[in-house]
Amino acid sequence: MNTDPARLLPRRDLLAATAATATGAALAALPAFTASAAPERPANAPRITSSSHDELWWQAPADDNSMIEQGLPVGNGRLGALASNDPGHEVLLVTDATMWTGGLNDTLDADGQFPYDRDHFGSLTLLARLTVDIPDHDLGAVSRYRRTLDLARGVVTTSYVRSGVTYQRQLFASRPDDVIVLHLTQSGTGRYTGTVTLEGTHGEGAGVSFGAAFANGLEYGAAVTAHGTGGRVTVSGSHISFAGCKDLTVVVSGGTNYAPDAAQGYRDPSLDPRRLARSKVTDAAAHSADTLLRTHVTDHHALFGQFGLSLGTSTAQQRSLDTWERLRARARDGAPDPELEAAYVQFGRYLMISGSRGSLPLGLQGLWLDGNDPDWMGDYHTDINIQMNYWMADRAALSACFDALTDYCVAQVPSWTDLTRRLFNDPRNRYRNSRGKNAGWTLAISTNPYGGGGWWWHPAGNAWLCNSLWEHYEFTRSRAHLEKIYPLLKGACEFWEARLLTTTLPGGSKEVLIADSDWSPEQGPRDAKGITYAQELVWALFGNYCVASAELKRDGGYAETISGLRKKLYLPQVSPKTGWLEEWMSPDNLGETTHRHLSPLVGLFPGDRIRPDGSTPSEVVDGATTLLTARGMNSFGWANAWRSLCWARLKNADNAYQLIVTNLRPSVNGGNGTAPNLFDIYETRPGRGIFQIDANFGTPAAVTEMLLYSRPGHLELLPALPDAWAASGSLTGAPARGGFVVDLRWQNGRPTEARIRSVGGRTTTVAFGGSSRTVTVAPGGSVTIKDFAR
Amino acid sequence: MRSSSYSALPARTLRAAVVLALAAGAVTVAPAAHAGSTAPTLAAKPYMGWSSWSMQSSKYPGLNPDGDYSYLTEANVTKQTDALAAKLKKYGYDYVNIDAGWWRDTTWKPEYDQYGRQKADPGRFPSGMKAVADRIHAKGLKAGIYLPAGLEKEAYGDGKTPIWNADGCTTADIVYGDLRTTNGWDSSYKLDFSRPCTQKYIDSQAQLIAGWGYDFLKLDGVGPGSGKSGDQYDNVADVTAWNKAIAATGRPIHLELSWSLDIGHAADWKKYSNGWRIDTDVECYCNTLVSWENSVDDRWDDTPGWTRYAGPGGWNDLDSLDVGNGEMDGLTKAERQSYATLWAIAKSPLFTGDDLTRLDSYGLSLLTNKEVIALNQGATPPARPITPSDPQQVWAAKNPDGSYTVALFNLADSPAAVSASWASLGFTGTGSVRDLWNHENLGSLKDKVTEALPAHGSRLFTVTPHGSALAFTGYEAESPANTLAGNASVADCSACSGGKKVGNLYLGGKLTVNDVVVPKSGTYQVKIAYVSGDARSAAVSVNGGGATNHKFPSTGDWGTVETVSVPLTLKAGSNTITFDSGTSYAPDIDRIDVPKSS
Repeated sequence: MNTDPARLLPRRDLLAATAATATGAALAALPAFTASAAPERPANAPRITSSSHDELWWQAPADDNSMIEQGLPVGNGRLGALASNDPGHEVLLVTDATMWTGGLNDTLDADGQFPYDRDHFGSLTLLARLTVDIPDHDLGAVSRYRRTLDLARGVVTTSYVRSGVTYQRQLFASRPDDVIVLHLTQSGTGRYTGTVTLEGTHGEGAGVSFGAAFANGLEYGAAVTAHGTGGRVTVSGSHISFAGCKDLTVVVSGGTNYAPDAAQGYRDPSLDPRRLARSKVTDAAAHSADTLLRTHVTDHHALFGQFGLSLGTSTAQQRSLDTWERLRARARDGAPDPELEAAYVQFGRYLMISGSRGSLPLGLQGLWLDGNDPDWMGDYHTDINIQMNYWMADRAALSACFDALTDYCVAQVPSWTDLTRRLFNDPRNRYRNSRGKNAGWTLAISTNPYGGGGWWWHPAGNAWLCNSLWEHYEFTRSRAHLEKIYPLLKGACEFWEARLLTTTLPGGSKEVLIADSDWSPEQGPRDAKGITYAQELVWALFGNYCVASAELKRDGGYAETISGLRKKLYLPQVSPKTGWLEEWMSPDNLGETTHRHLSPLVGLFPGDRIRPDGSTPSEVVDGATTLLTARGMNSFGWANAWRSLCWARLKNADNAYQLIVTNLRPSVNGGNGTAPNLFDIYETRPGRGIFQIDANFGTPAAVTEMLLYSRPGHLELLPALPDAWAASGSLTGAPARGGFVVDLRWQNGRPTEARIRSVGGRTTTVAFGGSSRTVTVAPGGSVTIKDFAR
Repeated sequence: MRSSSYSALPARTLRAAVVLALAAGAVTVAPAAHAGSTAPTLAAKPYMGWSSWSMQSSKYPGLNPDGDYSYLTEANVTKQTDALAAKLKKYGYDYVNIDAGWWRDTTWKPEYDQYGRQKADPGRFPSGMKAVADRIHAKGLKAGIYLPAGLEKEAYGDGKTPIWNADGCTTADIVYGDLRTTNGWDSSYKLDFSRPCTQKYIDSQAQLIAGWGYDFLKLDGVGPGSGKSGDQYDNVADVTAWNKAIAATGRPIHLELSWSLDIGHAADWKKYSNGWRIDTDVECYCNTLVSWENSVDDRWDDTPGWTRYAGPGGWNDLDSLDVGNGEMDGLTKAERQSYATLWAIAKSPLFTGDDLTRLDSYGLSLLTNKEVIALNQGATPPARPITPSDPQQVWAAKNPDGSYTVALFNLADSPAAVSASWASLGFTGTGSVRDLWNHENLGSLKDKVTEALPAHGSRLFTVTPHGSALAFTGYEAESPANTLAGNASVADCSACSGGKKVGNLYLGGKLTVNDVVVPKSGTYQVKIAYVSGDARSAAVSVNGGGATNHKFPSTGDWGTVETVSVPLTLKAGSNTITFDSGTSYAPDIDRIDVPKSS
């Protein structure tokens, strides 16, 4: 059965048709790097100060060889940098989210799968390297070095003393001005003498601006300018020289001519990145550094300030330590450090504000690279990683940052649809639809920004992405968002309608629908039918689609079809052999017991079919718990974060907290854990650690999930509050599914006050412990609950 | 600066007396150099100068155009002599040391005189070795030369080569009948000093170089050491003979021993020589002169066991100080400063192997920093680690004037903050900090100094305490109140406080010091007195919490106690402190001392 009328159209028309149904929103979305209106300047805005709790600090800089562990990230959502903060040798490794090699990648390998390389599939890669050399300020010659990352204001500050003079520099990436600014000042008689060098990292050489193109045709460019007072700033050859300056402001920008539009081949041919970068830095440099800073801080804080978290009070001893010492002390002494643990959540929010606004979404490393060739291409992995990146966005009041993911999917789906139609049923593809039918869209495990897939086909990836997009709707109740994602949901349903197989379970006569041959990420047999991962995701997809159809009053007949299919979907059983919820339609464990992925538990989290509240058969909850227990408590970054979220859903606060603490342990010699700059490090082999940003988002998501569980119509306060945070704390501005925002205070393990604001939701139950009540709030209104009985 | 402040030290007096006695027994002429003084005139301070070997051994482009080690020529020595005189002499650098190969041609074929003694290769040194020494002396500098230990095989000449000034003695009369070989390369026949002719051969070599006017001899390949052990490679008798022979010449000639000398014979080296290489060559034999990993960084681990042997008359030689030209040296600025810092505070001789005609400005500033040179050459004792040998470590020495020499090191591959806590120096309150490399006072600091160090970086301070001495509570490891686990056991230890220690801390052996009481919660710099003949690690934990692995520097042997401080977070009241050997071998623990305030 095929319900897609577009299937009869030639390819070009199909693209146009899909693009049209994918709403004008995709085409109306701004290209990644574009001229923009003059920013609003916050003329009389009050000065924004931040609490010391929102400041991370260190007593040593990074250097060229330690940027990924020690460099501090800045970003304006599109344009990012890792900074060394070295007094004598400031290095900024500059990235643009769209700086990608590769392309559509539509010639499959002999096994019917996608090439996965830096040429065809492509890779995120560095845009530029900016260095500011101040020879007289060699690290060996300065004292009292300190650098801070102010999460609330989005500013990195470096200070040190040289020959009795205190020098200070501030670094920030401004979204309103679309530039990165480095502002160097000093307290007295000090002077700056040195050079600013901007270089491409792909052989372009140095220059105050440069422009070039990749083999895939992507044009890119960057520019820098500098000005100072009290001395001379001159362009000499390919560098900017400065001498005797009392202060110095360096402004850099850059980007590409990427456009999120499949119909245009993901390019904006009218855009000259080098020229645009030059005009951006010139425009910004016309304003004082203080003005640029104020504009940036106002913009950053508007997002950052919407969410507050207190997990308790740390000791004076803990507060006296720098961030790296504090991480080490946390692991060594075993004593909770609630302010550090809360700051880790805010750091994740800082990364999201810095890395996911107005351009492509966050991939495996977000905007932060230390070389041209990040591991796994720094790409979008659709079998946990990109989803995990965005679990935190809504939960931590950064719904606006989620849009990058939505816009990406909307812009990619025409190509994904085209590739699915042309290539998915390739006879060499072991995951093809064995019934020979094909409709809708799916994608690969890895995706790039050019509509291309990499590595292997990932049939259920479409459902997982759709479910993520749907969850954003549940949090925000945004009708515009729902309109935007509806075509994706429908296309995914069409894919599954074509793919599902009818089978009869052994020993019965009941017909069920199961997924065709697939691989449960990323282990076990590669030709397993009815894997739990797919069944759960499609079950949720079909349900979401039906709600979407009803809310939009669209495609009612098709929704009925999907609803009918959903009722016949096979759902996993508990293995009589292992007692685990089965990962495959087999009582046997066909994979690794402690495998990193929790694919068969996707219905526990992020899905919530499996609920420990009596609404799910207890043997299913027990099977999920037993499986989660078997998976173990000692994996690495994102795998621990996912485990923690699952334990939070099972209301096991101790396990959920322990996994967070495990992720906070310091990474030494590339070991699993948290690097000095708080980036999460995944040890792929002894001595080799890789930055993967997902745990930096997944771990904060777990913290919020421990404090507040929500689904449409139901909130639960403090479902998994660990002893470490029980004494007192607060969560403010936390969005809840169903269209609410919650402010929550607690003491001695019990809520003292909960304020439920409606952002579209109307009625919800609010539970704590064994008790529950129903509240009704008008959109825009709020209710406050105080009397919580056990 | 140039006169020794050690004139009153009894140990030195004793040593000088021993030398005199030996000399008197061997020859009729008393060594003028030692007469009438209680202080050694040789090596009263670590010597300073230049050596040819770093450039000879390097594959740096252009240095050795005529084959390996061919840099060593009269012309090059002259060039370096002139550069040393012009640039570095006024800072105290005065030795020009010719290293291996002066008697070998570019194919390494040796030349000997008719008495089996090394003879200048005319290709390298057309004017001969005396002329070279004269040229060096004419610049107001001292001349150094080099010989390998033993009778070089090529000098044996069928055993019939006569020994100079030794009636009837030939080379067959000075070696063993089985022609057993010796030295680090087995390039010589071992000398048999039970035979009367043998000392004559050493005498003849000593007379030769003294006659040429050399002031310094590097005797190389000496064992035990130089990668060898066992009787065959025991060259203590050679060194003794050289000591005698030099004394007999009447010329003060500094005797330096090389390489990787066996610390078990430190007393011998100290008795008969003026310095000993504690480690393998610092050179990398690569495209630069040295490299950090091969093997500058070894010295931080290998030096501490030797520290106590350094003193006027004989010093721990860490090898060439190749910090003068970053590009040729193959080191970062930070690495060069750390290199110079360690050499300075360890009181190592300061001889550079750089091309002195091509010093860069940073290299020149390192080599000519007067405050750092004064530390190396002055009355201050050598520093040693006061923290474990972890990637971030602190070395210190208490100076005669009450100040402390304090060096911070970051041996990690990425930048890190390093702190020296006043508590680990033994005082509390404030201390004023002088930055020697930067010639700056950093002010009066409370409790500690913390600085950001680059990868492989260092800082060097003099800290003057203004606070009061810190009071400690001691806990003996052997106390019956403690808990021993695994193989751990109490053992006698004459050097230890209480005469006992806890040893056998290996493969799970564990010591828990119980009931460590402090008045309030905080981080305490706990002093750990331990014994460890080699560098060993232990996992240290408090109250059963997470352990931190620390590497304890070697104390040089199993009868010497040293102390390092470890920061431990203790809670108010009673605590336990555990030393766990884990899957390896840990040092023996003598006692711990816990500050009475954090």
